[in-house]
Amino acid sequence: MHVQVEFLGVSRLATGLKEVALDLEKGTTFRDIVHMLATRYPTLIGDVVQANGETLQAPNILNLNGKRMIQENQMDEGPSDGDRIIFMSMSAGG
Amino acid sequence: MYGYSGKILHIDLAERKTRVETKPEAWYKTYIGGVSMASRLCWENIESGCDPLSPGNVISIAGGLFAGTPVPVGGKYGMASKSPLTTFIGDSLSGSWFAVALKRTGWDGIVIHGVSDEWVQVFIDDDKVEFRDASHLLGLTTTETEETLREEFGDDQVRSATIGPAGENLVRIANVSNDGRKAGRTGQGAVWGSKKLKALSIRGTRGVQVADPDALLQMSYDILQAAQGPHTQKYRILGTSSNVLNMNRLGLLPTRNYQSGVFDDAELVSGEYLHEHYKAKTIACAQCPIACEQVGQVKEGPFSPAMGHIEYESLYALSSNCGVSNMEASIKAIANCNELGTDTMSTGVTISWAMECYEKGVFTEEDFKCEKYPDGFEANFGDGEAMVTLTEMIAHREGYMGDLLAEGTKRASAKVDEERDTETYKWAMNIKGLETPGYDARALKTFALGLAAGVRGGCHNRTAAYDPDIKGWVDRFSVDETRGALAKSTEEYAAVYDTLPLCKFIRRCFTGKADREGAWPAIAKLINATTGWEFDYDDVDLIGERAHTIKKAFNIREGWTREDDHLPWRWQHEPMETGPSAGHVVTDEELEYLKDIYYEAKGWTEEGLIPKEKLVALGMDDVAEEIGV
Repeated sequence: MHVQVEFLGVSRLATGLKEVALDLEKGTTFRDIVHMLATRYPTLIGDVVQANGETLQAPNILNLNGKRMIQENQMDEGPSDGDRIIFMSMSAGG
Repeated sequence: MYGYSGKILHIDLAERKTRVETKPEAWYKTYIGGVSMASRLCWENIESGCDPLSPGNVISIAGGLFAGTPVPVGGKYGMASKSPLTTFIGDSLSGSWFAVALKRTGWDGIVIHGVSDEWVQVFIDDDKVEFRDASHLLGLTTTETEETLREEFGDDQVRSATIGPAGENLVRIANVSNDGRKAGRTGQGAVWGSKKLKALSIRGTRGVQVADPDALLQMSYDILQAAQGPHTQKYRILGTSSNVLNMNRLGLLPTRNYQSGVFDDAELVSGEYLHEHYKAKTIACAQCPIACEQVGQVKEGPFSPAMGHIEYESLYALSSNCGVSNMEASIKAIANCNELGTDTMSTGVTISWAMECYEKGVFTEEDFKCEKYPDGFEANFGDGEAMVTLTEMIAHREGYMGDLLAEGTKRASAKVDEERDTETYKWAMNIKGLETPGYDARALKTFALGLAAGVRGGCHNRTAAYDPDIKGWVDRFSVDETRGALAKSTEEYAAVYDTLPLCKFIRRCFTGKADREGAWPAIAKLINATTGWEFDYDDVDLIGERAHTIKKAFNIREGWTREDDHLPWRWQHEPMETGPSAGHVVTDEELEYLKDIYYEAKGWTEEGLIPKEKLVALGMDDVAEEIGV
């Protein structure tokens, strides 16, 4: 299964990357993906991912294909082949 | 009474007289400060039905409960008047040392009446009020005015709020500036200009008496520590302009006057790009440990020198929404608005309307004649120079186009449609006359309701109903029976912060959770330590409902009807063609249903009017007598 992961905002600054491509086994969950990326890019730990390495630090959130925000209780679901996962940190106001 | 003096200062510019009004503690418990107190002062002092630019309007300024105390992000004040843009309540917030100086004078609020014969600046020096000539300040930018006044007073403790040339020229989208921050929306600057008030300077030398200083200090310290952590990281490093790419990925980034929600060049006008190439520094409002404001600087090229305070809402309006992918042009345009004294959002959206009119043949080059371009110029989407030039023309009401756009999209489109037999109102992106914010509401159905029903007009800050949509708590593409209560809940949540006032960016720093359960108990403790009151969760919650209700009551007295809760024509009839949000509009049927369930959730009538018993229950008996049904 192939997915594209895009980093926006603080996650982009932490990784120094705009996006990465991941080849995943079927059944890989969003939580697994966060853990995998936090392991590969430890600078995500703190401002983007909590110290446990698999929980996003609020208000960071994953978005799927620009249409669906993945809620905390949906992190054990997973993407489909060809999906785009976006690390977002939503800001209000301005 | 702790936290307040109990005194409101009234200033009559026509008679050059002042008077002091005392208010009972119950009045403060009901209206607190910020936008709520400022709106209440408008309710008490504005002649119903008056022209907003006539002597019957007032400028009301309400202090912050926590201004001048150690409470982080409490250095804010509220300003209100009858808006020359919407003709309903116009309220704005600003965070600056002006708010702290006001608090230290001992005046809880200021109401400025009448019209001066000559241009005037007012100096409030604790109890003393001086009326000073302002003729030498005319034409100066906001920064020039503040610097001139600082030199004249020779005291850094004197803090000034000023208007730029746009306010002097009665531009209906003009704002008020202080310490580089703005009371930005609804045209407050034009009201100042109509009164020939160029500047209000304040020196306050008194302390602020609070009920439990030790407790307040400890709580403030804890909040300050939390504000240095991950809850505010996004604001401190990138500021709100990081939303450009978020919104683009969601298909919600206003592009070419809201014709699209996806901008191909979004990367080039993103917060990330600004951070990498143009960031000069970050600055903070008074009492703020977050420092979210990103200052962008252009050092060379045709748009240099320019330094602008870059927020998301300024950036979308003066980049993607004008089709402009040149960050340097955007910084210059924002800097122009900051210095000349116009609201960046209304300015950008009004310019984008003009660009669409040009591209669709309603306007020609000749319509854009000005001193810089005597034969006029092309005003296509994507033309950064045209965008920048129009920011200057608007502030000075220069030429046909500058004078037209200075009226905002509602009036400008009505004038053009009458003169040219066109239907440009379909592209005029405003609600109640206030230009819309940087979230395309066609695919944010809860937010669409929040905006339509918004008492201030097309404003994201007063509704906050984008939260459930964008964060995925509800299906943003559809409508259901929960949205009325959600819109009520989010607007009243926002109103609590706008009334204290506290910057909303602190909302996760009380307990780590931004919801009512996470924040209200902590805010109650802050209020109690400041005032000695015994507020609880419910009392804090009522602050928001009361704040929203007094503004709604003002609008009803000015003739508001259900039809005024509308959306721009485009959001109801033109689906976007590309991106994740393509294919959606808010239909008439959806909007009317949303209004029905919202009014029901608010406890109002089907026509959106407020029952007397509802107002009495909120402690607004006199309001009930006047507009209750």
